[in-house]
Amino acid sequence: MAIQTIAREAVPKPRNYYTEPSFLDVEGVPTAYRRKGAGKSVVFLHGAGLTRMWLPFYERMSASFDFIAPEHPGFGETPMPPWLRSFDDYVLHYHEFFRKLGLQKINLVGFSLGGWTAAEFASFYPDAVDTLTLIVPAGLRADHPLPDVFQDGPDLPLRLFNDLSKAIDVAPDPTPEEITFGYGEATTFARLAWTPRYNLALERRLHRVTAPALVIRAEDDRLISDEIAVKYRRALPNARDLIVPGTGHAAIHEEPQLVAEAIGRFISENAS
Amino acid sequence: MNSLDFFVFNTIHYPFIPPPEENRSSWVTLSNKYFDPELGYTVYNDALEVSASAEKFGYDGTLVNEHHATAWGLQPAPNLSAMHIVANTKHIPVGIIGNALPLYNNPVRVAEEIAMLDVISGGRIISGFVVGTGMEYFSAPVSPAFARERFWEAHDLILKAWTQEGPFAWEGEHFHIPHVNPWPRPIQKPFPEIWIPGLGSAETIRKCVEKGYHYMTVFSPKWMVKKFFDSYREYAEKIGVVVDRKKLKLAVMTYVAETEAQAHREAKAHLQWIYNTGLRHPQHYHGPPGYSTKQGFAAMMALRGSLPEQPNLTYEELLRDRYIIVGTPQQVGEILHEEYVEELGIGGLIGMGTWGSMPKWMIMKGLQLAAEELLPLFREKGGKPDYLKKAPLVPGSVAERAATFGKPKYPSLLKVDGIAGSIPRETAHVAEVIDSARNGKVTAPTTV
Repeated sequence: MAIQTIAREAVPKPRNYYTEPSFLDVEGVPTAYRRKGAGKSVVFLHGAGLTRMWLPFYERMSASFDFIAPEHPGFGETPMPPWLRSFDDYVLHYHEFFRKLGLQKINLVGFSLGGWTAAEFASFYPDAVDTLTLIVPAGLRADHPLPDVFQDGPDLPLRLFNDLSKAIDVAPDPTPEEITFGYGEATTFARLAWTPRYNLALERRLHRVTAPALVIRAEDDRLISDEIAVKYRRALPNARDLIVPGTGHAAIHEEPQLVAEAIGRFISENAS
Repeated sequence: MNSLDFFVFNTIHYPFIPPPEENRSSWVTLSNKYFDPELGYTVYNDALEVSASAEKFGYDGTLVNEHHATAWGLQPAPNLSAMHIVANTKHIPVGIIGNALPLYNNPVRVAEEIAMLDVISGGRIISGFVVGTGMEYFSAPVSPAFARERFWEAHDLILKAWTQEGPFAWEGEHFHIPHVNPWPRPIQKPFPEIWIPGLGSAETIRKCVEKGYHYMTVFSPKWMVKKFFDSYREYAEKIGVVVDRKKLKLAVMTYVAETEAQAHREAKAHLQWIYNTGLRHPQHYHGPPGYSTKQGFAAMMALRGSLPEQPNLTYEELLRDRYIIVGTPQQVGEILHEEYVEELGIGGLIGMGTWGSMPKWMIMKGLQLAAEELLPLFREKGGKPDYLKKAPLVPGSVAERAATFGKPKYPSLLKVDGIAGSIPRETAHVAEVIDSARNGKVTAPTTV
């Protein structure tokens, strides 16, 4: 079947931290990414929102690394391909994205939904991963059902952030354009993870990922249960963990410096 | 033909729940601990009695709907209600404003159940197809992001199952069924009347026009439904379809009583329950992600932007914007004639029914008064509903069937131990036939 080219769409620009992305054609999907810094390459896979921005966490990471932050198909400025169904599609998308960028052994970092994606990628392509960092990752089944992220609606920030003052500068403007754009990103999220919100096969496959792994937990995560982070640490053969004190799920926004330093140390000590 | 058809609508509300100040949502999260099965026995049977009574009052049809995980309506399985009503009526059309096609992983089940109902009722079934409200998806193993795709694929599959001889294989995007072969097939040809409720989705309107389905609006103010019906007509004109006004349906809660003051006195609290309690849900439950396209979402946001949230509507606002119509039969008749038949050009009103917390006696009084003084205003001489002016699809008796259809198209021939040939079902118990067959004398009767 011929590769279908997906058209880019105009997107509203957040009032803070917006930067123009670069684009890479990945099998017909114009994939937006932002890149800055020098040193070892680190790829960051974002969560289910807060896109289009060069965030303080990214800036800190780019002080020590060649930091690459792509936007998933259907998020930010990467349009949603109509064929998008599952995380398998993301795994193959990123495999090609990394190949096009010439990245061989990847220091892969994923946050939340991006943590799930990173873990899926690593379980399919363990040899392509040099180090794996999962920050409050989703993707496994906890012992207790998670709160329904889709049901929170406008109350979601209260669940994501412990320190709401940290949410103010990244929160989308309540304009019709931003609300509609957010609805579009949530639609992608709902295609991937409305049901089920875990992948039982992933837990079984994680033993394949022998690269050094770091699981970053938030002390008070009220969205993605800490049980999941602990499960990852146990299922990954070469994993350690650490807890970010005081934050909610949005650890990279609430403690960007602390999280960036922890990841920096881990990669510097463990990358080949 | 009568100028306006009147349908009785049955949601089976369950009003024995906490009041609004103690209840954030009557949908999705309101615990079913509030459902009391013993009380439920009465609620169900009262409501179903109202539905069946529509026939004797002389309404044009009687409808049920489908909702899940909510006190708003106790009909997660509307085909069961329909079967109950079918069993307690003789001639009236029975409509199911379910089935919520995307929610089910086997759409053939819907084709089968509707066909069963259609055959058993003698061709009286109106088959709604609905996407379901956004709220249903919070309690279903189906992403709302695939709701529309699944809806239309399920629709295509069901229509094929009803119109093409089985078995056939369905290899779709969302459903793969190696042998689609539903027994029975529906009795109405080519298939039961299809109604699709809409809240303005342009795609739904276009498809209804193209396929000749009935389009039905629900729970929206008059200025808004006018836009929906206008776009229906505009699109019909654009593609050269002549609009059959009987295919345009409007659901608006209607109540009549002896005087205007009495009508308001009786209706007010119960109709307010609908908006301030029964329909109560956080607004984002209504449009979970992917339930609409981004364009549809933006259009709806713009359209509804100027509206107060439904739970905050006052009784005066409900009346003013025609979410509800209350008055004497003559007053309501004038409104329906001038605003709905003449101005909006609709042909069917889903008006009377088991609305809100209204007790059964009050509902029945309203239904009777409307039957006596409102329906005749829109009827041809004789006062019959249109369905009674058509010949029934099935014979009324064994003799009629025998005279009309003769013997079955395919004979039933039975194999019995010790007999070489087959013996006809009708005479399988007759000794002379069995003996002759044993001696090899009887051969199968000729088939048609």
